[in-house]
Formats: sequence, C-alpha cells, structure tokens
Amino acid sequence: MSCSTDERETAETQKSIPLDLDAIKGMRFFDPHIHMVSRTTDDYQAMGDAGIVAVIEPAFWLGQPRTGVDTFRDYYSSLIGWERFRASQFGIKHYCTIGLNSREANNQKLAEQVMEILPLFIYKEGVVGVGEIGFDDQTPAEEKYYRLQLELAKEAGLPVQIHTPHRDKKKGTQRSMDIAIEHGLNPYSVIVDHNNEETVKEVLERGFWAAFTIYPFTKMGNERMVEIVKQYGTERIIVNSAADWGISDPLAVPKTAALMKIRGIDVKDIDLVCFRNAIIAFGQSGQIIESDFEEVQNLDQSKKFEGNSVLRGGQAPRINKSSLIIS
Amino acid sequence: MKHTGIMKGEMNTKIDGLLTRIIERNVNGETYAWLLNKAADLNGKNNKDQLTIIFTSIPRKTGKKEIVIEETEAKEINAILPGFRIDHWTIDRLSRVWLLIQLEIDDKEKYISQIESLFSQAEMNELVALYSSLPLLSYPDAWKLRCAEGIRSNIGTVLEAIMYHNPYPSTYLDELAWNQLVMKAFFTNKNVNNIVGLDARANANLANTLFDYVEERWSANRTVNPQIWRLTTAYFDEPHLYMIEKLFNEADETDREAAALTCAESTNAKLNLLLDQHPQYKEAVAEKRLSWQVIADKQIF
Repeated sequence: MSCSTDERETAETQKSIPLDLDAIKGMRFFDPHIHMVSRTTDDYQAMGDAGIVAVIEPAFWLGQPRTGVDTFRDYYSSLIGWERFRASQFGIKHYCTIGLNSREANNQKLAEQVMEILPLFIYKEGVVGVGEIGFDDQTPAEEKYYRLQLELAKEAGLPVQIHTPHRDKKKGTQRSMDIAIEHGLNPYSVIVDHNNEETVKEVLERGFWAAFTIYPFTKMGNERMVEIVKQYGTERIIVNSAADWGISDPLAVPKTAALMKIRGIDVKDIDLVCFRNAIIAFGQSGQIIESDFEEVQNLDQSKKFEGNSVLRGGQAPRINKSSLIIS
Repeated sequence: MKHTGIMKGEMNTKIDGLLTRIIERNVNGETYAWLLNKAADLNGKNNKDQLTIIFTSIPRKTGKKEIVIEETEAKEINAILPGFRIDHWTIDRLSRVWLLIQLEIDDKEKYISQIESLFSQAEMNELVALYSSLPLLSYPDAWKLRCAEGIRSNIGTVLEAIMYHNPYPSTYLDELAWNQLVMKAFFTNKNVNNIVGLDARANANLANTLFDYVEERWSANRTVNPQIWRLTTAYFDEPHLYMIEKLFNEADETDREAAALTCAESTNAKLNLLLDQHPQYKEAVAEKRLSWQVIADKQIF
C-alpha cells in the first residue's frame, strides 16, 4: 500500500523504454498484492490483456480511517463478494487476505470490535491468508493486534502477509519476523512484503518469503528488481504491484517480467517470481486451485459470448476505446 | 397458496429426506458423517458464530462438483415443491441449503437472526446457497425484504439463484418487488423462461412498465427480448397496438413469432384479427410448433 505524497522521493532515473509487452506474450502472471477496490474496469481489462490471471487483494485501510465496525464488515464482504465477481468478468481469479491493518490498529476501541468479526471472514472461500498486518508507526497497539492476528492465522492454518513500514523499515521488518517466530509460526508460511535491497538478505536467510512491491517513486523500481533477481535468484522471491488509490501501476508485474526478459533473465525464473512462487506461498492456505484460473477465463469468455451476467443493461463488457463513438 | 406460519411440516420432512439421500450419494462417507455431526452440534449450541463457521467451511469438506441426481428425484422434488429444481447445483450449494433446513425453528426470533446473520457477511457462493434456500426456510414471510434486497444485486449468479427455478419470489413477493425482479431479469438478459410463476403473476403495472421500456429501447435503436410480450398479452390498449404491427413488419423472425404468440394469447380482439393476416404463424401457433419455450430455446443467454 502506498504512503503519502510527502514521503515520495523524486524519480531516480528519467530514462524511459517504450512500453512493449510482446516479449512476455503468452506468459501468465499472478499479482499477489493489489487493491482492486480502488481500480477501474479499464485496469482489469488491461491486466487481463497483459496476462494477469489471478490476484490477491490484501485487506488494508482506505486512505482515511474508518469510524465503525460495520464499514470494516462491508469492506471485508466486498473483498469476497463484489470485487471477486468484478474480477471474474475480466477473466481474473480474485483471492484476498483478511486482517486488521496496522494503521487502524491504533484505534483500540474499534480494533477490539474488528478482532471479533475477523474469525467470521478468514474461513471464507478464497481467503488465502491473514493480511496485510504488521507495523506502521511501530506503536504498542500495532504490536498487540499484530500478535493477536498471528495467533489467529496459526489457528486457522493460514499464511500471513506482512506489511513492513515505510519509516524505519529495516528495524520494523526485523521486529515483525522476530515476533512471528516468537509465536511459533513457520517462516515458510509468512510472506514479508515491501522488501528492498536493505531488507532482502535477512528475510531470505531466516527462511521467510520476500515480496517486492514495484511502485513508482516510493517503493521499488523494476530495474532494481531485475538486479535483485540477478543477485538473489528466485527462491522465495515474489513480485507484486500493491497498486491502490495512489500513483501506482496495476501492470507492474507484467512490466517487470518484460524488463527481466529484455535484461536476459531466463523465462523459467521470470515465471517463478511473477507467477509460480505466489501460488506456492499462498497456496499453503489450501484455497488456490490452479485449474480455477482457466475456469474463470472460460466462464468469462462464455459470459461475454452468451451475453450472460453482463453487469448493466446487457452491454458488452468490452468497449472499443479507440473509437470516438460510444454506443 | 400463502403460508404464513411455520412451514416445517410435511413438505420439509419430505424434502429433507430426499436431499439427505442425494447428498449421501454425492459425498464420501467421511464427509457425510461430518455433515450429520455438524448439523447435530448446531442445534445443541446457542451460538451464531458456530453456524457461520460450519456454513462457511462446507466446500472445504464437500468440494464443489456438480451433483448427480436421478430423474425420478428431480420429479419428486418438483412434485413436492412445484418449480423447484436443483439439477445443476454444486454439492456445496446443496449441502449448505440442507444445513439450513436442519436448524431448529421453534424459537422464531433466534431462527431468523441466525439466518440473517449468514446473509450479512456472505460471500458470493454463500449468497447463492442462501437465496436458493428461501423456498425451504420456515417463517416465509420473514424473507420478503431479504429477497427484494437480493434482486438489487448485480452479481449474475446471485440473481440467478433468486430468479431461476426458485418458487419463493412468485409465491411471496408483493407486486412491486415481483415487478422489480422481472424488470431486472430483462435488464440483465436472463432467461426469463426459468422464472417460476412468470406468466401467472403478469399484471397491468408490469405491462405498462414494459411498454415504456420497449419504447425507450426502440428510441435508442436497441432490440428487446421477445419474451417481454408474453407479459403484456392481457394488457394491450389502443396506443400500444402499433408495437405488434411493428414487430410483424420490421423485426426479425423471432420477434414475428413472439408477435404471433402475443396476438393468439391476447384478450384484445384487434390483435386476434391481426394474426389472420399472418397465416403461416397462425398455423404454427395452432399446431403448437410455436411457444414461448420454443422461442426461449432459440435465444442465447
């Protein structure tokens, strides 16, 4: 998830390579961290066209704090309901992780109420983990609810998706891992997100999964990502976009894959970090069935073909964007 | 036709027995035992969350394959509850509906709040099962608003769970909610031929709304679903007669067939006469080669 604009660094490089995804044509991608509630149908269409077949939407905050438990309930419901349906219309299989995010953990009165409803959601179909949880400001309240949710994940046998803080990242990441181990979680069931060059080594050495968010200005750029894969290989490394309501890119995973291809990384390795590893990591939930990816695509095609379930007024889901005429 | 009190009588006992038999055949022994145990547990505890967790975790135990059902069973179900069909259900959907009919019903308030709570945090497949269960739930009047709410959904599978082979809406919805269901079905291009009680609940308000809808579509140079006309046959008045003439003269073959059926079924003498000008269609109707079912079978949904 993004941070605020005041934390935005200036772009490191101004060089530009024309966008051409031909190099990765026919490859399938999995974006295991993207906040689709903030994205448009245009994004879904572009993602499907670029080869993204499945996504994971972690529960997070919505840019401003919520004031009641019911808005949390509705948000979680939308992640397993409407958003999942919307994705299916574009041939994309949608999963989610459910959790109380670190920012809103600081509203303790509300946090208590949210903790009470979490068990009602984490066992739902397609919930592949508890997430994204962890530290933001690294307050005692954040720690309290992080620990409680680690216990919840352990009880439910679900992987954990950890959000690492923007500020004081290295220490926050170490602390997140220490606490997970203290609670007896197997590092192999924990995906540590938003890594960078400073955190990756320790995360991998301690047996955790290291996810990298390709997010303009504030997180990783994809050229840096190429270098990470060249240096650290592909074991337990995952690429995601964390695209949301900030200036972000829902095509970050296929674009990074294309750049890797151009920079000489083997297709097998690209497949691991941009598709397969996410399935292995989150598949530990027992909720990811790969054949479902094709089913949602077939379903979608037949839906388009048959004109069934198309959202409103029976219009075709695909619009011709290069035409001035809107019919 | 209306039941206002507790419905768990002979009907549910029969349906329960049938569904139990079908489930037993469609799951392995371990899963079957799990379901029976959980259903027994359920009524032992005064705990909403317990029901939620069992209901939610059903597909993890049963899988999600389409059930195999004997033709005799399908007929039996239809005899007990006319219009109700489960033939293309998945096993998790059937097991969830079955679980709901195992709930104790004596405490009305508790029963209703348990089920409402399932609705309030259901994911898509759970919603499908919940809406499918409406005709089998006790206190049928308690679910009218919930059913009307479901019709507002934009999720195709949820709408179909309410609209297709489900006898609850036509039995219990008031006219306004019923008309919304029918309009929503046309707007979302559903196969209205699968709606139980469609023709029986045709009404003047619905016909007038449909006439407006047709004019709006035609103004935008869009076509209309030929099934619309079956709901207007008893309500044709002078200003709308031109519509059927237009169908005969300008529209495609399916529309002309729909126009012919409308004329044949209409209570309007002018429309009856209009059919005489189209003898080949008149003959097809008379010989029953033409029906709304025939038209539905040609349509693509």
